[in-house]
Amino acid sequence: MGRCREYLFGYALLAPALILLAVFEFFPLFYGLYISLCSWRLGCAEFIGAENYVRAFRDPQMWQALLTTATYSLMSVPVQLGLGLFFAYLLFQKVRGRELFRLVFFLPYVTSTVASAAVWSYLYNPDRGLINTVLGILGLPQPRWLAEPTGVFALIARGFGAELPAWAQGPSLALVAVFVYTTWVFVGYDITVFLAGLGNIPSELYDAARVDGASGWALFRHITVPLLSPTTFFLSIITVIGTFKAFNHIYVMTMGGPGTATTTASIYIFRQLYEFNRYGYSAALSFILFSAILVLTILQNRFAGRRVIYG
Amino acid sequence: MFAGKLGRLLTFLVGLGTVLAACVPQAAPTPPGPGQITNPPTTPEMVDAIDLTGKNIEVVYWHNRPQRDQELIQAMLDEFNRTNPYGIRARAEIAGASYNDVYNKINAAIQAGQPPDIAVAYQNQAAFYRAQGAVIDLTPFIQSKKYGLSEADLKDYFPVFLESDANPQFKGERLGFPTQRSVEVMYYNADWLRQLGYTEPPRDWKPWEEVACRASDPANKKYGWAFRHDASNFASMVFARGGRILSPDGSAYVFNSQAGVETLAMIQRMFKNRCAVEIPTSERFGEQNRFGNGEVLFVFASSSGLPFYREAVEKGSKFAWDISLLPYTEKPAINLYGASVSVFKTTPERELAAWLVIKFLGERPQTVKWAVNTGYLPVRQSAKDEVIAAFERNPQWGPVARSYARIFDWLQYAMVESPVAGYDPVRTIIDQEVMSRVINDPNVDVKKLLDNAVAKANEILRENAPRSGR
Repeated sequence: MGRCREYLFGYALLAPALILLAVFEFFPLFYGLYISLCSWRLGCAEFIGAENYVRAFRDPQMWQALLTTATYSLMSVPVQLGLGLFFAYLLFQKVRGRELFRLVFFLPYVTSTVASAAVWSYLYNPDRGLINTVLGILGLPQPRWLAEPTGVFALIARGFGAELPAWAQGPSLALVAVFVYTTWVFVGYDITVFLAGLGNIPSELYDAARVDGASGWALFRHITVPLLSPTTFFLSIITVIGTFKAFNHIYVMTMGGPGTATTTASIYIFRQLYEFNRYGYSAALSFILFSAILVLTILQNRFAGRRVIYG
Repeated sequence: MFAGKLGRLLTFLVGLGTVLAACVPQAAPTPPGPGQITNPPTTPEMVDAIDLTGKNIEVVYWHNRPQRDQELIQAMLDEFNRTNPYGIRARAEIAGASYNDVYNKINAAIQAGQPPDIAVAYQNQAAFYRAQGAVIDLTPFIQSKKYGLSEADLKDYFPVFLESDANPQFKGERLGFPTQRSVEVMYYNADWLRQLGYTEPPRDWKPWEEVACRASDPANKKYGWAFRHDASNFASMVFARGGRILSPDGSAYVFNSQAGVETLAMIQRMFKNRCAVEIPTSERFGEQNRFGNGEVLFVFASSSGLPFYREAVEKGSKFAWDISLLPYTEKPAINLYGASVSVFKTTPERELAAWLVIKFLGERPQTVKWAVNTGYLPVRQSAKDEVIAAFERNPQWGPVARSYARIFDWLQYAMVESPVAGYDPVRTIIDQEVMSRVINDPNVDVKKLLDNAVAKANEILRENAPRSGR
């Protein structure tokens, strides 16, 4: 009796959180799943089972959007983490004005995405943007940046008078321009988290290693990198998820264009929902994206997680 | 025997009944009682039978106009709120910066079961809402003796404006009512054109393209034509070449015609020869600003942009400019723009209140005020002269006031892009998969692009076709 009361008391304490989870997490999730199994207008006009999923797997534009997303992620994750670690390591040293530098690096992350993306769009403007104006003054070629669907490798090759086959053209310049903006925004966040991770590494380890004659690079390679691995692992998971869900800045900067050059999975889902009004189909696409992110996270956890050193 | 007598008796009684019925004076048709009014009302009599006394209904109006127009709309609605005898209170709300914003917001609101009472909507957007049972046919309200429009009123409206709201996909139902209209026109820099040796823009496409190319000087960022990411630009050019976007019966998309191919080939050529400049989607109102700065010679855009172009030129290079019809091949054609106002399904009383708001906004004083302040066309013929006179009195309009007056003559060439549900995604396809491709690829096969786009568009048309029982 006493034990039963204890259980009840425990669940009563948990109830507010469980109710919140049920209402705001699980219900929308399962309702979304239900929508994805319907031909949906104002309600479920017809229950069509997996038809939306079958259609999605046969939709070449869905695969293209996923490929664009993966490319964007592959570019973003290593560069963001690499630059984040590099600057965090520099800012961790006793340099003059490091608080100011930390603030400067973090500012883009706390700036409104829509506002900063709009400003970058103007910077990238082919005719009137600051970047091309400077390039023009220097007598350099002025690319079309966000308006250029051609691959960057193809553009470079053209500069040397060569043409590349379609498979070797690389990501579009528009996608690369978006990636540069993303890096500018998120490196500050990575730096902050890396700084916290660096602060957690006991200084005695460095002292002991120095006594043993370890140099700067050896310290970094054999102490910093391994002991920072939980932070790196956390950031890599967050960044992969973030890049796969990327939407706001891409929508502001290119709306998925030119053509479909920057149409990532989230942009494609948005289009299917708001422009094509395919509610069931866009719900199915959302679940496919969700599954892709889930699988990637599990794989990351399984393979990269093994290499993480916790203290 | 008995059956025969009964039969004769019945025959006698039926005959007697018929004779007596003929002698009784015909009673007037009884107006439907409150329980007989369907939602939405389907006959003018049902609308007549709605009693708004003491209901004090609040009507919410979603639109996409900027703040200064919001103030104008609300000022007009305040007057309506003061003068209507039913205590209706109407309130305008900015629901987005573009028709697309409003469309997206309304679609979400419909799903959430909370649409506004009235909202601006293009014919195809209204058709999409109707396919979901969310907007109503306004015909019974228009025809209502008590609340509708008189014969004289109806004749006063520009017929082409009224016709554009009768939806072919829904057996001519009026899914919206016009309170404004505009058309696609060609803005041109008259001073620059004169320097090139022309007193007016070329009438045919070929010489027009030649002039645009002669005007272009990419090194100095000057171009003949500003390319906007807007499917309506493409549609207007197709119309002016004698083509259509949708077949007249609304059963199929047909923009892969010769007119479509020639239009696309010309755009492709102009980009290849650097005679045109793309206005990036991120550069809001870029075409207006560049035009105002004297960087582009021609822009195709809505006549509702007249005040904005005027402002851009005043702030910019201060040159002489004007508007004209787009070039054409055989006969002129003009793309009729301007969303109508649709009423959402709520209750018969609220629907009627919403209709009365729309009716008020369409009255002569309101349509004059709206046109003078925004550059849209008034919807009533009786308002035309007053609006033109107001523009002519305003020195800032200059010769453009005379050009504005000519738009009324051009209305005879008006064409509507596509009033069917699902046209918005087709517009995206036209922009992203057709136009964006040709401006970036000088070698892409335009016919193939158009054929693919039309195949996709027709699939969307089938997908959005009204379902039986709606």
